[in-house]
Amino acid sequence: MKLYDLILPPRSYTLDNGKVVVEKRSRVPLVILLLVLATVISGEITGFRLSTLLKRIDYFFVMLFDMFPPDIAYMSQVWTPLWDTIKMSLLGSAIGALLCIPFAVISSENLIRHKAVTAFFKFFFSVVRTLPTLVVALIATYVFGLGTLAGTVAIAVFTFAYCGKILYEQIETVDMGSHEALEALGMGKLSSIRYAVWPQVLPSFLSTVLFCFEGNVRYASILGYVGAGGLGLILNEKIGWREYPRVGMILIALFVAVVAIESLSSFLRSKLT
Amino acid sequence: MITFSNVTKVYPNGTVGLKDVDLSIADGEFVAVIGLSGAGKSTLIRAINRMHPISSGTLTVNGTDVMKLSGKGLRRLRRGIGMIFQSFNLVTRTTVIRNVLTAFVPDLPLWRRILGIFPRSAKLKALEALDKVGILEKAYSRVDQLSGGQQQRVALARTLAQNPSIILADEPVAALDPVTAKAVMDDFRNINRNMGITVIINIHHVELALEYCDRVIGVRSGEIVFDGPASLVDESVLASIYGDASYEAI
Amino acid sequence: MAEIRLTPAEMLSKEPKRWIATLIVALITVILLSWSGSALESNSTGGSGLAVAKGIILGILHPTTSILFTLQTNGVPYLLLETMCIAFLGTLVGAVISIPFAFLGAGNIVPRPVALVFRVFVMAIRTIPSFVYGLMFIMVTGPGAFAGLLTMSVCSIGMLSKMFIETIEDLDKGILESLSAAGCNTFDKIRYGIIPQLMPSFASTLIYRFDMNLRDATVLGIVGAGGIGAPLIFAMNSYRWNDVGAILLGLVILVLIVEWFSSRLRNALMRG
Repeated sequence: MKLYDLILPPRSYTLDNGKVVVEKRSRVPLVILLLVLATVISGEITGFRLSTLLKRIDYFFVMLFDMFPPDIAYMSQVWTPLWDTIKMSLLGSAIGALLCIPFAVISSENLIRHKAVTAFFKFFFSVVRTLPTLVVALIATYVFGLGTLAGTVAIAVFTFAYCGKILYEQIETVDMGSHEALEALGMGKLSSIRYAVWPQVLPSFLSTVLFCFEGNVRYASILGYVGAGGLGLILNEKIGWREYPRVGMILIALFVAVVAIESLSSFLRSKLT
Repeated sequence: MITFSNVTKVYPNGTVGLKDVDLSIADGEFVAVIGLSGAGKSTLIRAINRMHPISSGTLTVNGTDVMKLSGKGLRRLRRGIGMIFQSFNLVTRTTVIRNVLTAFVPDLPLWRRILGIFPRSAKLKALEALDKVGILEKAYSRVDQLSGGQQQRVALARTLAQNPSIILADEPVAALDPVTAKAVMDDFRNINRNMGITVIINIHHVELALEYCDRVIGVRSGEIVFDGPASLVDESVLASIYGDASYEAI
Repeated sequence: MAEIRLTPAEMLSKEPKRWIATLIVALITVILLSWSGSALESNSTGGSGLAVAKGIILGILHPTTSILFTLQTNGVPYLLLETMCIAFLGTLVGAVISIPFAFLGAGNIVPRPVALVFRVFVMAIRTIPSFVYGLMFIMVTGPGAFAGLLTMSVCSIGMLSKMFIETIEDLDKGILESLSAAGCNTFDKIRYGIIPQLMPSFASTLIYRFDMNLRDATVLGIVGAGGIGAPLIFAMNSYRWNDVGAILLGLVILVLIVEWFSSRLRNALMRG
């Protein structure tokens, strides 16, 4: 930015009464230039062609409209994978949320005095969070075999990283006065965390976990694609066989389930806060 | 010169805002409009630049009938009348100077209006307006970093940059603490005395109105119940404006 | 004032029966979880799981350096660039589609029922899993990065519209009043009253979404829609864990760097 001011020197304005005001040049042209450049480069690399898109986009809608009317009779076969998806997300969220608690505690600067320790575990959370869930799911299928167990593990890993990060951020903003008071009372470190810090973060933590669970249901439907159980499995299969009315039925079932879970969860979250 | 003759305003829901108002305000006056909430203070002020159109009667500003204007003509009238609001009405996520510069927007050529590139002369005028209200050094700060009093000064600078002959202020100090409120009222007095701009202020605080303004107009249920110099306002006048019981409560 | 004095024992008996509610919630949780456990099944290869895991982790921890530093089109740097490009254009196209949806879904711009219809529509778009869009777009453009960016843009619509709607519903209409009082016409009011209010938070949302798209980009590769996901899945399917390690290392570093920049930029935008 210093360089920018050198190339385009700031303007100065002299008022009638002799005061001088210096105005730095606007950064907007630079930002626009960078954005245009990035767009052009990205367009080249990804092979973006508006003409192709306009010419062939109707294929997309043909497929979409083929899904209607959905094959309602097929619903009987959707129930099991749908419940599997929900169960996977429920169990995965619970395991991930429980596991992240001790790690979040040792990542919190106000509870652990050693900066190296907290920094290491925060970095650990960041790295786990960057691991693509699908990759975790695929690895899990090698280790645990094909099926819902692999999907549950993948969801647990994701929940662990997501809820863990938010939990240590919440712990770090907690009022430490009561913790100090309990330590002064002669309580040990762990029990003063249990009675002073935990009650303060619990409601918002539960709310985070519920929010994560909502997202997980949607995400769990992808995992079947790599063989980790749930709706993704039949979804992939039916698209492959071009049975679009059945695809439509699966998607509608998923939509209803997601809406139901989101409304239930946002109701519970509103009770929590 | 602003003249109201037989001005009545009835809102679509049947509420009467102004009832047969006759009034004239000469150039360079400093006028306070006082009265209870809902008495029609705001309607009175907003009728002048036609933010609220009147239902009947005639209202002229410098000889032009406000109700006969539309489109471009109306916008030209409004260019000459500055307006200040209780809630400042600034774009808080952008810099102070860009807020002041919006005062010049209607006069710019189309390409400048679209791109938002202002000429040097406009920037100079904007900075001078900021200097007049004493916050020149904040020109390139973002508005959300300023205090309430400073924000109201930015709004004042924006209005001054418009180079108006009349300033209408709708509860300009209601959202400010007493000390800041006085400072902002001082600004209004300076603008009125040194630049000869007519200032019409709609105000809740009777003491401030009496201390700063030359003329006081008392409004009650859409009618003018008092109009005279501030020195003539006494307990009985206030009682006629606010009603006995409600004045006690203020 | 007559005060009824309770002995501590009497007070104890009046203790609110919170434990009943707690017990019910705990019971429901346990039942739900054990019911979920019933779905756990895996066609395990039997006992070899740990050995497999050990092999995978060892492989990932020894990334192939040759593909990490080559600048050819099959090297990690080029693939990461391609992924960034997909995420960037995907976010941009997604934003272009989302803006009209957001205005049509904002309760202060259109009548409530209309807004509700558009919100449900956006939610339906959001529910369809990304790989379904991926497979559909491959039929439109053929496999490759183009299909990837289209998928990315459609997947961005849900979250972008939702955040845009919140910003639009927070608009301060007082500014419009002051602009009309200053003699501005409708165009001026939009240009100087609405756009400056929306810009910082829209930009912040877009940066955040770019960040997320980069993270999600691997999903696309799996269906053949370009980016770093495809070579990653190939490597995994053929058990080349050293290559997987190299690709993951590149991806993790890139995502962490982008995340750092994105959170700094967003802070600057929101706080000024």
